Parts: sequence; structure tokens; C-alpha cells
Amino acid sequence: MGKAPEDLLRDSRRGKEAPFVRLFDDHHLPLFRFAWRLTGSMADAEDIVQECFLGLLRAECGFDPARTAIRTYLFGAVRNQALKRLRRREQGEAAEGIDHHTPEAEALRGEMAGAVGNAIAGLPETQREVLLLAHYEQLSLEEIAEITELEVTAVKSRLQRARATLREVLAAYAPETERTI
Amino acid sequence: MNDTELDRLLNTWQAPAPPRTLREGLRARFPRAERRKFTRPLRWGLAIALATATLAIGMDQIGASPWDFRMERVLNHVSHLARGLMEFFEPRIALSIVKQIQQSDPKVYVDGQLGAPLEYGGAATMNVKVPGDGVYSIISYPMASHQADGRPTGWVEAGRIHGNAIEFQLGSKRVRIVCNQAIVNVDRPVYAMRRP
Repeated sequence: MGKAPEDLLRDSRRGKEAPFVRLFDDHHLPLFRFAWRLTGSMADAEDIVQECFLGLLRAECGFDPARTAIRTYLFGAVRNQALKRLRRREQGEAAEGIDHHTPEAEALRGEMAGAVGNAIAGLPETQREVLLLAHYEQLSLEEIAEITELEVTAVKSRLQRARATLREVLAAYAPETERTI
Repeated sequence: MNDTELDRLLNTWQAPAPPRTLREGLRARFPRAERRKFTRPLRWGLAIALATATLAIGMDQIGASPWDFRMERVLNHVSHLARGLMEFFEPRIALSIVKQIQQSDPKVYVDGQLGAPLEYGGAATMNVKVPGDGVYSIISYPMASHQADGRPTGWVEAGRIHGNAIEFQLGSKRVRIVCNQAIVNVDRPVYAMRRP
């Protein structure tokens, strides 16, 4: 049987690399997807995920396995790092916003996927993160509430608003519309 | 558009696979504990050779044949050997721990409050300033609490080193030294003495 994440983390903090890599292998994929969807940048997503895992090894790391599951903690850490970067980007010289039009991203999707990405990027930040966690990462409302530090009812209403907005924005791509074109 | 149609539409937006550099970069940035210089079989071989040599020399010095295997003698020599090995290795381990701490940005907390930086003394000792109490020397080498004539040396076992932290109690003060990487693989005791 595999070791529990807390045991892997304890061994990692003692300088053992193998348990740390195992922890990374077990958790990095959804975290990378979430970071990429939030920031729209491969480089930022890569950086954020690395930072979050290395943060687990630091003395000041606030992770407490008795209170939070490691997956929830890591999603929270990715969210905080991504939001920090987005704020910096907003205040920075480029003020470029989320760019889902990088060459590698463009190559990965067609027009419809591009429209979905842009529609999600256009959502208010508070709705976007909830939608990404609920729809793409299939997290429960309770988990999302813990990650975003909100009440479950607030998560639910943000998710409903996000989906309502997307329904409107993406109406042109609805199956009926496609058939009439 | 109903929920299922919206879900289907959202699913067309797929995230790319993470680049290979994500895992490699993370491994490169992992703060490794000091690598051991010998592989395990070599280390065992060295330890056995050293033990045999020490036993032979010890028996030779007290005029006994190395092949005299009476139980009392053997136990006596094994005990001498263990002490000798400990006296040989422990100071080196204590020094390597201090070196590891020096490279790990140690932060001293006294009762949870950030304290003065750690100072490094001679012979693998480190000095901790405890506000309102004085300066204490600490060491990870086992120090005797009494001299041969029964007088106390001042050294007491005060706490432990584990992972990336050293924790001990000095009087009523709780001291925690936190490093940014692991400094020991196995927990060890810490000895402390109040400096005059």
C-alpha cells in the first residue's frame, strides 16, 4: 500500500527526494491545469506549481494535515499564487490580462474551444476560479469553499452566476444554433 | 442551452499537458540533505574492518590474544570498541550538523518570538541568546552531565534535533531553531549549558 501524503511530506522534509517526487506525481496534473486556466500562461503555471510544492518544504509552511487535505491545501496555494500574479500583471506595464492566445495554446484548440477559453477568461475572477474548480477539476462545493475561503452558499451562487453568464456568451455555439447556420 | 450542452461546450477547452521541465525543474530545486560519500555496502565494509582492527589492537594492548573469546573479555572489548567508535564518529557528526545548519538560514525563536541570530562557537557548539536569561551553548554531541569527581559540568540534555528544527527547553523558555532544509535524517538529542 502507498504511503499517506503526510508521510511522504514528512520524509520529503527530511531531505529525501523520492517521496517528494511521488507527492508531486500524485498531485501536479490538476494543479497545473488549474494554474494554466487561471493565468493563461504555461510559464506562469509551471512556476506556480513548482513554488507550491517547494513551499511545502519550507519551515513557515502552514499546511496542517489534521485540518486540511493536502490536495485542498495545494489548490489553495496555487489559487493564491495565481491571483498574486494576475494582480501584478494588472498593475504592471503590460496590463495584458489573461492571454490564452499563446502559439502553443492556439495550436491546442479550435475556434469553439478558443471561444470557451475567452468566455471563461472574461468572467469576474471570483466566478472564474469557482467554475474552474467545480467543472474542470470536479471538486465538491465544500472543497471549493475551503480553497476560496467562502461559505458553501456563496460558492454555489457564484457557480450559478458563472454558468448563466457562459450560457449567454456562448449561446452562438449551442447545438441548435449550429444546426440553423 | 441546457446544463449538459453547456458542460459539453466547456469540455472542448482542454488544458495542455505540463511540460517536462516542470518535473525536472522541481527536482533540480529540491533541497537535498548532504549526500553520503559511500554507498551502503562500502560503508558497512568499512565499519566492520574498523571494528575488527580496533578489537585486535585493544586486545593486543592488554596482552590478550585476539583469539581469546572468553565471554567477559569479549564483552569488555566490545564495550571499549563501541566507546571508541562513538568517540571517533560523534564529534564529526556534530560538526557536520553545525555546517548543515550554517547553510540553512537558521531562525531562532524563543517562546515563539524571533530572537537574535545563532552564533557559532568552537568545537561544534552554537550559542543562543535568551532574552532576560543569558547566553546558552548548545551542541548535538553527547556531553557528560558530571565530571569524574562528581561535580556537575553544566551540560544537560535539553531537547531534540529533528528534520529541519532544533527544539529545546532552557529554564522556563522554549527555544526553537528552524532551518530552511532538513539538517538530520534521524532525531538526535541536544545538550545545553548556560554560559557563565
